[in-house]
Amino acid sequence: MAAALRAAKGLRLAVGPPNLAFTRSAFVAKRRNHDQPNWFGVGLAFSTSAALWALLFKQHNEDVMEYERRKEERQHKCTGCS
Amino acid sequence: MVFLPDESRSLPPPPLVNKGSVWLGLTGWIAALLDNGFNHRPIIRAGVHRQILFTTVGWFVGYYLAKRTEYVHAKVDRELFEYVRQHPEDFKAAGI
Repeated sequence: MAAALRAAKGLRLAVGPPNLAFTRSAFVAKRRNHDQPNWFGVGLAFSTSAALWALLFKQHNEDVMEYERRKEERQHKCTGCS
Repeated sequence: MVFLPDESRSLPPPPLVNKGSVWLGLTGWIAALLDNGFNHRPIIRAGVHRQILFTTVGWFVGYYLAKRTEYVHAKVDRELFEYVRQHPEDFKAAGI
């Protein structure tokens, strides 16, 4: 990789007078403006929080149900169907 | 390695308000407050959506960590009691 870079540098040095045409770049930087809230970010944060809480409540309820079910199963197995 | 083996579901699940959740929720909130501080924003009045999100993530991770903690402790207890049961001669009370 270093050898390729050195080769490219050599080629550029050999070009001659500088080219005054504008070069294009994929990278553009713009100054951040904080006058307006970032509504998209705010919405994303709140919806993610709501989703996480919903998932948590669902998981907890499932855990409780599964625990109760296994407790019943153990009762049945140990004492037999009474 | 599995985070929560199937037999961990036989244990009573931790309540929604548990030590792991409260502590990690608190660290999440403090992280959001620190973020405000580092970016020269008002510490508690700014970025409430961020504070709520970080607290929620901490609470969520804390719940699963608490479940794993309970499982590991229960497993160690089971192995301990099983050993005591299999070696009664080593655990005779003094004088008997």
